[in-house]
Amino acid sequence: MPKVRSRLIVGLLALTLAPFIPNSNTNAQRSAIDTYAITNARIVTVSGPVIERGTVVIRNGLIAAAGANVNAPPDARVIDGNGLTVYPGLIDAYTDLALPEASPAPSPGGGGGFFAAPPPRPVGGPNSTQPVGLQPEVMVEDVIRPGGNEIESARNIGITTALTSPRTGIWMGQSALINLSGDTPQAMIVRSPVAMHVGFTPLRGTYPGSLMGVFATLRQMMLDAQRYRDSMQIYERNPRGIRRPDTDRSLAALVPVIEGRMPVVMLVNSEREITRALDLASEFKLRLIVAGGRESDRVAERLAKQNVPVLLSLNLPRRTTAALPEADPEPLRVLRERVEAQQTAGKLAKAGVRFAFQSGSLTDMSELMVNARRVIENGLPAADAVRAFTIWPAQILGVESQLGSIEAGKIANLTVTRGDLFDRNSRVAHVFIDGRPVDLRPAAGGPSRSSLSGTWIVNVNLGQGDKAITLNLQQEGDRLAGAISGPLGAGEISNASVAGGGEVRFTVVFNVEGQTKEASFAGRLANNEIRGSVTIVGAAPGTFTATRSGQPN
Amino acid sequence: MIKALLVVFLSAASAFAQQIGNPTMQQGVIPPRGTFAIRNARIVTVSGADIENGTIVIRDGKIEAVGANVTVPAGAQTIDGTGLSVYPGMIDAGTNMGLVEVPQGANGTVDTSEVGDLNPNAKAIIAVNPHSAHIAVTRVEGITNTLTAPTGGLISGQASLINLIGTAPKEMAVVPQAALVINYPRIGGGGGGFGGFQQPANLSETLTANERQLEQIRKMLRDAEAYGRAQDAYAKDRSVPRPDRNVVLEPLVPYVRGEQPVIFRADREAEIRGAVRFAEEMKLKPIILGGNDAWKVASLLREKNVPVILTGIFSLPSREDDAYDVLYEQAAKLQQAGVRYCISTGDAGAEVRNLAQYAGMAAAFGLSKADAVKAVTLYPAQILNVADRLGSIEVGKMANLVVTDGDLLEIRTSIKYLLIDGRPVVLTSRHTELNDAFKNRK
Amino acid sequence: MKRLIARSLLLSMFGMLPVSPARAQRQTSPETLIRNATVLTVTRGTLENTDVLLRNGKIAGVGKNLNASANARIIDGTGKFVMPGIIDCHSHSMLDTINEGTLAVTSMVRTEDVMNPTDVDLYRELAGGVTTLNLLHGSANPIGGLNTVVKIKYGRPASEFLFPGAMPGIKFALGENVKQSSRPNQPGVQRRYPNTRMGVEEVIRDAFTRARDYKRTWDEYRAAAGKNKDLMPPKRDLQLEPLVEILEGKRYVHAHCYIASEILMLINLADEFGFKIKTFQHALEGYKVAKEIAAHGAGASIFADSWGYKIEAYDAIPYNAAIMTRAGVVVSMNSDSDERARRLNIEAAKAMHWGGLTEEQALKLVTLNPAIQLGIQERVGSIEVGKDADIAIWNGHPFSVYSRVDTTFIDGVVYFDRQQDLARRPELAKERAALEQAEPNKPPAQGQSPQRPGRRRPSHEDGIEEEMPR
Repeated sequence: MPKVRSRLIVGLLALTLAPFIPNSNTNAQRSAIDTYAITNARIVTVSGPVIERGTVVIRNGLIAAAGANVNAPPDARVIDGNGLTVYPGLIDAYTDLALPEASPAPSPGGGGGFFAAPPPRPVGGPNSTQPVGLQPEVMVEDVIRPGGNEIESARNIGITTALTSPRTGIWMGQSALINLSGDTPQAMIVRSPVAMHVGFTPLRGTYPGSLMGVFATLRQMMLDAQRYRDSMQIYERNPRGIRRPDTDRSLAALVPVIEGRMPVVMLVNSEREITRALDLASEFKLRLIVAGGRESDRVAERLAKQNVPVLLSLNLPRRTTAALPEADPEPLRVLRERVEAQQTAGKLAKAGVRFAFQSGSLTDMSELMVNARRVIENGLPAADAVRAFTIWPAQILGVESQLGSIEAGKIANLTVTRGDLFDRNSRVAHVFIDGRPVDLRPAAGGPSRSSLSGTWIVNVNLGQGDKAITLNLQQEGDRLAGAISGPLGAGEISNASVAGGGEVRFTVVFNVEGQTKEASFAGRLANNEIRGSVTIVGAAPGTFTATRSGQPN
Repeated sequence: MIKALLVVFLSAASAFAQQIGNPTMQQGVIPPRGTFAIRNARIVTVSGADIENGTIVIRDGKIEAVGANVTVPAGAQTIDGTGLSVYPGMIDAGTNMGLVEVPQGANGTVDTSEVGDLNPNAKAIIAVNPHSAHIAVTRVEGITNTLTAPTGGLISGQASLINLIGTAPKEMAVVPQAALVINYPRIGGGGGGFGGFQQPANLSETLTANERQLEQIRKMLRDAEAYGRAQDAYAKDRSVPRPDRNVVLEPLVPYVRGEQPVIFRADREAEIRGAVRFAEEMKLKPIILGGNDAWKVASLLREKNVPVILTGIFSLPSREDDAYDVLYEQAAKLQQAGVRYCISTGDAGAEVRNLAQYAGMAAAFGLSKADAVKAVTLYPAQILNVADRLGSIEVGKMANLVVTDGDLLEIRTSIKYLLIDGRPVVLTSRHTELNDAFKNRK
Repeated sequence: MKRLIARSLLLSMFGMLPVSPARAQRQTSPETLIRNATVLTVTRGTLENTDVLLRNGKIAGVGKNLNASANARIIDGTGKFVMPGIIDCHSHSMLDTINEGTLAVTSMVRTEDVMNPTDVDLYRELAGGVTTLNLLHGSANPIGGLNTVVKIKYGRPASEFLFPGAMPGIKFALGENVKQSSRPNQPGVQRRYPNTRMGVEEVIRDAFTRARDYKRTWDEYRAAAGKNKDLMPPKRDLQLEPLVEILEGKRYVHAHCYIASEILMLINLADEFGFKIKTFQHALEGYKVAKEIAAHGAGASIFADSWGYKIEAYDAIPYNAAIMTRAGVVVSMNSDSDERARRLNIEAAKAMHWGGLTEEQALKLVTLNPAIQLGIQERVGSIEVGKDADIAIWNGHPFSVYSRVDTTFIDGVVYFDRQQDLARRPELAKERAALEQAEPNKPPAQGQSPQRPGRRRPSHEDGIEEEMPR
């Protein structure tokens, strides 16, 4: 097409489409700093063939154009893309980014644990009829907070967008898809709610206290939701003469789920867990998405047939323990699992199962690309690996018209690398989110400083069996703050410190048998667990193990 | 069926017999020794060849004669052994027999484990309950002896070898203080969080904690050694300052001098190696109790001549990848490797009566039938240094004899007669009594 | 490196499961002819020098000089004994969790939801000649969860384990475990109701009273809904629905109990509400009330000779099976233990030793009787033409302590074979050696300390110990 005419057409198009292009700010200002052009770059559009040398133009937060014959507009800030490759911004399909630590579940009836008389259901969220952990009405969009170290770590490796979801409980709540930049939660949210999230960790000290109970509870609540919807419909049709049904936010939140309008993400990894999830989804006609999915290749046929996508964790299992002669040899099952987990993605692709990558609560995000490489080495075509970070999550999460490929009109989330994305020696040169470049911090030297922020379940052993307490930590650099709650009392931690290599120390005041005692914790973070010793003044010392709350094992 | 034979058996004391038929009565009256002859039976001597058709003469608690052509003394009470077999009474070397009646929910009946880690002076024989229902229940299945050991702590106490007959501990004791019992610090988890020490979760911490515990044991043993020397010195020479007596260290002296065996409870390979090493260092005479991994260290055990009391024939293999029969096969492997061993139920009391089945299972998986019988008769006697008195049918040994209508180890075999210490034992128990009470309830 | 991975992949596919049948496709049962064995049919006596033909998953022939197709596998049964697969009526194998102990009535929970088909103890049970399990909820609650009857198809997905046509069942429990009597009081914490055997009865009475009302409410609704389409149905209650099924005779009750008084209590309660107890589990004092159990029509599923471990087990006697059998009670021997489940052949034989049951009566204790108790006797429990090919070949009489299993078949497919097991051991060792060299399995330079090796699950008592409060 002759140049003049194409430009005319483009201009006409721009004029006609202009009113329909959403603006990112209400002032509708278009200033020069909103326009960028990355020139002479290799462009992996994902939606089409790779453009070996071309230009991407960003304007007003969107991709304005991308192609071999696209020129940088005069008002654009030009980035020389020589030697660079432009990918759509990578999507991490399952995280807890931007979420504060959840408030600890209040312990029922004086820390009774198993022995408590059936307690009145402790009220968690506002006006909920259900205990914390069974509140499907919880929405992460209410608690998203911008900024923070974890978001920076994710961006540093090229992640522009993440599905963020609560991690605790059974009905864990409703997730949101966020861009990893923005000053306000509203600026971050791309879509909310995205899905209902379900975990299978039983509650402590109250029903359901076992995995069997979890299934029974899920079923009962879904049946109750069906009835709730029906009774509300009948009442609303003609309230006269009918006794008003109680409103119930938890059941109301489940109605879109049981009607298949909102997908359900279930955190399941082993073959039998995935099978149980598929069975439950069939029983209640749910739109299931599997998250974790380590053994999903073994159920690939059924996943494909039931049209269930997988948010595949790239937190690949690896051996973390040293070799000690006194230790038992590891079970064959574990050895096989670690090797086979690398092959899952390749097998899913062959079987036609849709999947997307997620970081699976990796503490060290640099492992993400290392593991992506492993997965490619073990049978996943590299092009599929790119798709699993871009267009496939966009499709699975319902945002394919906005994200996942480099096409005009989509949100300008771009990951620009020097070298191929999965190459060992490549590095992320630029990241654009919503059309603006983000600051990439240099990788921290030495051992990675994994963040301790979050909710931890701490099993303390003082010689009389384990006691579980909840610990909430916030880590800002070297500073650590937080609070403890549970059967040994509640309180703020003090004298807290974090050292490189994951050494954690803090003290807290406990209430032990009516007396206040000070306890000092000293432990080490490794592989998402903190282990160490606890010394209580005036009592026998003990040990503790802390795992992140809501962690799949 | 057994009641009918009572009269024949005790013709000289029939009124007596009716009285001590009742298990409760048996608790107060010990049958007297006498002169008996078992005639025309197949005699499984264990120490030598079987005697297809022989006679055994028992007098005053001992075996007086054994053979194909033995003269029966006048006045002997005879048992017609036609079609029957005679075996030595079985010995279970790994029990808490008599120390516990009901382990769960009746703590008053539990005397297995004293408070504290170092209790060498806790002597099992003191607490053995001769009236425990477990005793009769066990012996009617052909087990005549048990080694009863305390549990708990690091040094649990001293085990006793007892006859399962007697109205008072003194009457039961064969060797009142037969062995010191030490729990070699464990690597495997579990065992509850009792006692002074915490349960570290990871292996390195466990190994460190174990070292500390070993150090505690070491120190006490060294103190005992020093104590023994001091006492000896004073005994020889009164001018030496008189050392105070110490009830805790005193019992340790024969053990630290290697005069008596020390039992180490250990199952895992590292624990067994550690126990053997420790015993060598401290110059003790070790016996391993448990021994699930013993076959893995067979050459070491053979080299150091350390015997093993196997209690895990009926345990589930602890590792996922273990062969399904790895524990069934242990005895056969040790036998082949030339390691001394015996088979035990490892049970507190209620299951000791099934000892024969443990041996039988070992025979199903590689052990010869003859060795399986030895594993519950002569081998435990040898390991416990009482082979001069027990474990086989030989002249001069204690008359602990079981008369059966078939293979001792088979479950379908019945026990017809039982002698312990040359005393006839009535084959009733709490269980036969309850059976009699309810079997005809209409 | 890639070659290493590929090689280990190959090895891992080969040795992935102890049983070779390929995972992906449905299992086809090869035709098998066992020649010249001693066949313990259970219902038609012991047949010497007899052939057994397995075809299409069923027992196709039992007799002398049977013919088989050309491609049948022939097994020389000379000197061998063929017995029906053992049925364990009280098992907690292959369950990720055993008790939902937070409430006293948990009839809404299902063992079927938590089955783990990869539990290695299943294989060890197959090696003991066991082919069918009754997976029960634990004994933490007066009314526990729903059971699952399974064939031990180790290596297959859980859905293939389900025993076709087995009657649904539920676990009840009475006595010390339910009262949590061996657990100390915690200061300031109220104990869970019930704390006495009085309370145990009240919990069950209350549950059935509510269930009866629930049933009535639904019956009334169904009657009225025909006329009035707008009528709102009553709320569905997953806790009460299984109890309604019990009242309607559609679900078997398997009640864990020990002492005579509580056995009688439950019989009376069931009579009052008009339902039957299918089995009393453990029932160690069953011999004291054998005639009442027989009159009610309940069976008993017991230990052969375990006793004395709790106060309520102190009067247990090994003559229990014989006394109850003679009183007309259908008795089975169970394990309640992955360990004991491997030796149920000897457990059955104990009833000959203590109590003098005949060999046939004793055989029934682990074959036909548990089948009757689970409602599967049409398909398994004896060697008869037309029944499922769930059998085991032993190298000696199963009641001899010296015998062991050669081969175990379920639906005519081999799920355990000793020769195959032995042959596979060096292969597994090679696979391990290769896998340990794979990159993700190498120990890191600076690694964490390995975990302390854990404790095994307790060997019986319904896994109560493992459910300690967290």
